[in-house]
Amino acid sequence: MLVAGVCAAVARHLGLRVRSVRLLALVLTLAGGSGPLLYGWLWAFTPHEPAATPAEADTGARREVPGAALLLVLAVAAALLTLIAAPSAGERLPGGALETIVASSAAVAWSLGLDRGDPTRSARYGFVVRTASAALLLLVGTALLLQQPWVLTTIAAVLMLTLGVVVLLIPRVVELWSEVIAERSGRVREEQRAEIAAHLHDSVLQTLALIQNRAEPQSEIARLARAQERELREWLFAEPGVDPGDLAVELQRYAAELELEYPVRFEVVTVGEAALSSGALAGAAREAMLNAARHAGGEVSVYLEASPEELTVFIRDHGPGFDPAVVEEGRLGVRESIIGRMTRSGGAAAVRSSVDGTEIELRGPRA
Amino acid sequence: MRVLIVDDHSIFRSGLRADLDEGIEVVGEAADVDGAVRAIQALEPHVVLLDVHLPGGEGGGGAEVLRRSGRLLDRVRFLALSVSDSAEDVVGVIRAGARGYITKGSSGADVSRAVRAVADGDAVFSPRLAGFVLDAFGAAAGEQAERDEELDRLTAREREVMRLIARGYAYKEVASRLFISIKTVESHVSAVLRKLQLSSRHELAAWALARRLL
Repeated sequence: MLVAGVCAAVARHLGLRVRSVRLLALVLTLAGGSGPLLYGWLWAFTPHEPAATPAEADTGARREVPGAALLLVLAVAAALLTLIAAPSAGERLPGGALETIVASSAAVAWSLGLDRGDPTRSARYGFVVRTASAALLLLVGTALLLQQPWVLTTIAAVLMLTLGVVVLLIPRVVELWSEVIAERSGRVREEQRAEIAAHLHDSVLQTLALIQNRAEPQSEIARLARAQERELREWLFAEPGVDPGDLAVELQRYAAELELEYPVRFEVVTVGEAALSSGALAGAAREAMLNAARHAGGEVSVYLEASPEELTVFIRDHGPGFDPAVVEEGRLGVRESIIGRMTRSGGAAAVRSSVDGTEIELRGPRA
Repeated sequence: MRVLIVDDHSIFRSGLRADLDEGIEVVGEAADVDGAVRAIQALEPHVVLLDVHLPGGEGGGGAEVLRRSGRLLDRVRFLALSVSDSAEDVVGVIRAGARGYITKGSSGADVSRAVRAVADGDAVFSPRLAGFVLDAFGAAAGEQAERDEELDRLTAREREVMRLIARGYAYKEVASRLFISIKTVESHVSAVLRKLQLSSRHELAAWALARRLL
């Protein structure tokens, strides 16, 4: 990188070798002197390329020259000149007035056009430059108006005052405008999504419900349709900001997994504030759901109630049931993974089983 | 028992017609809001099976049918059917006057049972609807009505019944679990339905408002 990396950037953009671009620049410089001008132009207006690595960022090119600040200094000098020349200018426009307008406008333009996209220039710097330019214009404009009001000086003064006010307003207007644009595109996206959702709802979801209705209750087809329906529903009615670690979400997800594997249909109902799942409660609930899917099948209800103090989960199936008193034989799952786990973590578990089915109740403190 | 099926999907209508029990006579079908309102006025069925999402009319769906059939609500009972059991939909149609709600995935036998219950003047709550009710009335947070007639909260017994329904208990099972008669369970559920329709709790208003149903 010899100066600011412009030749390298041009070479990369045009697919040429860096050396030939540099040679061309040199030739242009020697023959007629347009090389530096072109170089400066490209340097000022080419979009800044983010550095790929931190090391590159250290040696990387920056628009080192604080153009806006330099122009502002120029404008201040011109303004001083104007103020000095004004009393003796008579009917003519005092020297420096035009230069003040041009230099301060250029400073503002540089600040808005070039510095705003440059990460090395802070927003505060831009603000200071623009406010100073506007103040300068307003000051000189007012001073000119207070002189003997000749046509030319009045025009120049009014121009300065107008420009000053505009410069002060520009950032706010730009900000408002980009807000409006962002809001509009956000609304368009939201509308499109709603439209797609409505369409899917009226067509696909209905068809999936119908398939479940028509197919044998526990058949492969019915289960697949149910899983698809659940997935689509999740997407359609996804609430923004729901924590994926939420116990309700986790139980839903696990129910969907089990439905694909076993001939079972889960109805998961949740009540209360969202609750982070404590490991033990979630683990025990999963075990209970797995048991229900494996041994009972059919319709299984899962009910989660989250009160401010504790979480309660009920898992109920309509299987043949078993005697909780003799769970020793082989059903280690219930004793160890459910009851043991809950009591160890400071919660409680109860099993009610009869010929009508089994209900497991889990209680645990909020995580 | 005379039943009208309102749904914009013809396959669903014919499927349901075939699945319903003997003794339930389907007297007509309608596919949109205006058609449904006309058919209800002309036929005066015992029960209307009403899809929550319906095209036509002013875009209000099933709830609009209910509002426009307001005069007939004491003679014609409405059972809402929906594929999407989102709270706004369900609460919207119930507040507009439906006596119950079930999902479209329910079997023909389940729908038939629900139709008979609604025709008898009972309310039909699915586990999910019971869950919505518990949520809407702040039951999980421990809110409880002091008096039976209080509209904005559930009594301890009503909360108990709703909780069992949400846990997947049928009315009969709720009754034996709580040592009360099925009739008592039904009257509790009807009381909850009335509260759901008349209460001005802001959760309910907000849900209905979200679907522009107020």
